[in-house]
Amino acid sequence: MATLEIKDLRAHVETKEGIKEILKGVNLTVHSGETHAIMGPNGSGKSTLAYTLAGHPKYIVDGGQVLLDGVDILNQTPDERAKEGLFLAMQYPVEVPGVSMTNFLRTAKTEVDGKAPSIRTWTKELTEAMKRLKMDPKFATRSVNEGFSGGEKKRAEVLQLELLKPKFAILDETDSGLDVDALRIVSEGVNRAKEANQFGILMVTHYTRILKYIKPDIVHVFADGHFVKTGGPELADELEENGYDQYLPEGSDSESALA
Amino acid sequence: MADNKEINIPVADPNDPYAVPAAMPSSADRAPRSFDVAAFPTPEKKQDEWRYTPLERIEEFFDVFEPSGETEVTVSMIDGSEPVDGVRVRRVPMGEAPSGTVSKPNDRVSAVEWNSAREAVVVELKGEIAQPVLVKVHGNGMDLDALHLVVSAADKTHADVVVEHDGSARLAEGVEIVTGTDSHVSFTSIQEWDKDAKHVGNHRIHLGAGASLRHSVVTLGGDAVRIRMDQDFGGEQGELNMLGIYFVDPGEHIEHRTMVVHNHPDCKSRVVYKGALDGKGAHSTWVGNALIEPTAPGTDSYELNRNLVLTPGAIADSEPNLEIENGNIIGAGHASSVGRFDDEELFYLESRGIPETEARKLVVRGFFGELVEEIGIPAISEHLMNVIDRRLARGESDAMAQVLEDK
Repeated sequence: MATLEIKDLRAHVETKEGIKEILKGVNLTVHSGETHAIMGPNGSGKSTLAYTLAGHPKYIVDGGQVLLDGVDILNQTPDERAKEGLFLAMQYPVEVPGVSMTNFLRTAKTEVDGKAPSIRTWTKELTEAMKRLKMDPKFATRSVNEGFSGGEKKRAEVLQLELLKPKFAILDETDSGLDVDALRIVSEGVNRAKEANQFGILMVTHYTRILKYIKPDIVHVFADGHFVKTGGPELADELEENGYDQYLPEGSDSESALA
Repeated sequence: MADNKEINIPVADPNDPYAVPAAMPSSADRAPRSFDVAAFPTPEKKQDEWRYTPLERIEEFFDVFEPSGETEVTVSMIDGSEPVDGVRVRRVPMGEAPSGTVSKPNDRVSAVEWNSAREAVVVELKGEIAQPVLVKVHGNGMDLDALHLVVSAADKTHADVVVEHDGSARLAEGVEIVTGTDSHVSFTSIQEWDKDAKHVGNHRIHLGAGASLRHSVVTLGGDAVRIRMDQDFGGEQGELNMLGIYFVDPGEHIEHRTMVVHNHPDCKSRVVYKGALDGKGAHSTWVGNALIEPTAPGTDSYELNRNLVLTPGAIADSEPNLEIENGNIIGAGHASSVGRFDDEELFYLESRGIPETEARKLVVRGFFGELVEEIGIPAISEHLMNVIDRRLARGESDAMAQVLEDK
């Protein structure tokens, strides 16, 4: 049983216009086996939260704590956080030319586990996981994410989720850019991985459609850099109905209405 | 395709000198070629071909010297066995054929090498030679030395030659490569010098008609390494593939200059050089010259240089030069780039548990691996990947040592 506690997390980003505060005191506790949906209007800071947790150097932490089983991970490098059991499935997975998927996955697995996986079980595990995600075997020999379609990239993220077996998975807009079939395959992959490893999920999403496939236990509304409302799955239905307008600060543009 | 093989060199009308096209002297025509050191001025920064070179670090190569003879040269098959039939190794006095038969020295340092070396090591190749031939060049110290090597492949020969340099040395090296009609040869020169080594090299290459040559240069270390390669064709349908890989550490100067000359119809050339630079004062130079003479219709040429700057403070000079004197060609392209190791790529790999140093290594291995795969000669590709892995592992053990020291 693992716990991820986010306490009064504040962070900013440096832009051409100067310092921009994005996270303004985020508080959240997630336990193993729980699925939290983090919903909110565009520009509210949901993705920033995801990247700040993973340790992206662009986001500078101003205060607060992120405790993974009591250990503050905020001063750890991204690879150390991954070894602690954090996994971020990215909205836009990065292409790494020249590095083959196989080589990348084996290196990551070795680092995360602290030892090289046995060749035979590893190859079997990889092949079967790819088959379940309906990925063409030739992906293994191609460069990481290079020339993959949007859907293929998301499948590759879920493949890593299944193989690396984290304690907590942050899914950043994993549903974006997926057609219905791909959404189903990807969601099934997430559910399967969760079933097997009982990790906690922080699912950042703008739309409710992925929630039909990955059922949240708890739904949060994130607006203007912090959580403004928490409820059960029914909160998602309410958001579907009414949009995010009521959560936007006075006088701001209603981006969600446009989206 | 350019079907028209008619060679028609336009000549300027003295009464109307601006009528085009007119025969223009190309830079190669103007550049001296001579065995005489005095034919070349002492290198200075203001001379175009020396503008990127830290002259003060190689000035000992500007005047004829007494070679120490400390550099060991051994020739075997790549598995260490004795040379097979079809491989003849001998030493000849400088100037005795086949030494001195492939063009002439083309700059001060190559003329100095020619006049300083005592003898030439000649490797003659004939027939189908299944296993690569290995020429090991081992430096035994910092006394100035000169080495002249001739690789000569007979008509219709299929052979691969690997020259490996290691140890500590200050070496002036001249290499002549001549391949016969319809031969298919690969020549690979690997520089795995110690940190203090200096190496000034000059390759002069002549390809037979209908021949193909895969020429690879892999430079993974040395304080100052400068290798210039000049090539021409001996007839139609020649195919030249030049590949280069370099890895530059802080404070090192690694320079490669290729000069491809298309002087016969329907020949093809490809020059692809890739380098990774790491740290402050790491300096690489690539200058790729391609000259398409009026006598070379149907030429297909392309050159490319890519540099990957891993950490700030490194400098990569990249300069492609094309001189095209014949309009009836298939292509003459070039591309050049200097790019930084992408922060997003780094973050992606790190977020999967891969530490920064390991991530950089993975990317560098991939960056070079793409190129090595293209060689298409398994024995050579594997050998090169081993050399690159050895180089990358060296970085790791350093980093690991540091980690251990920190604790």
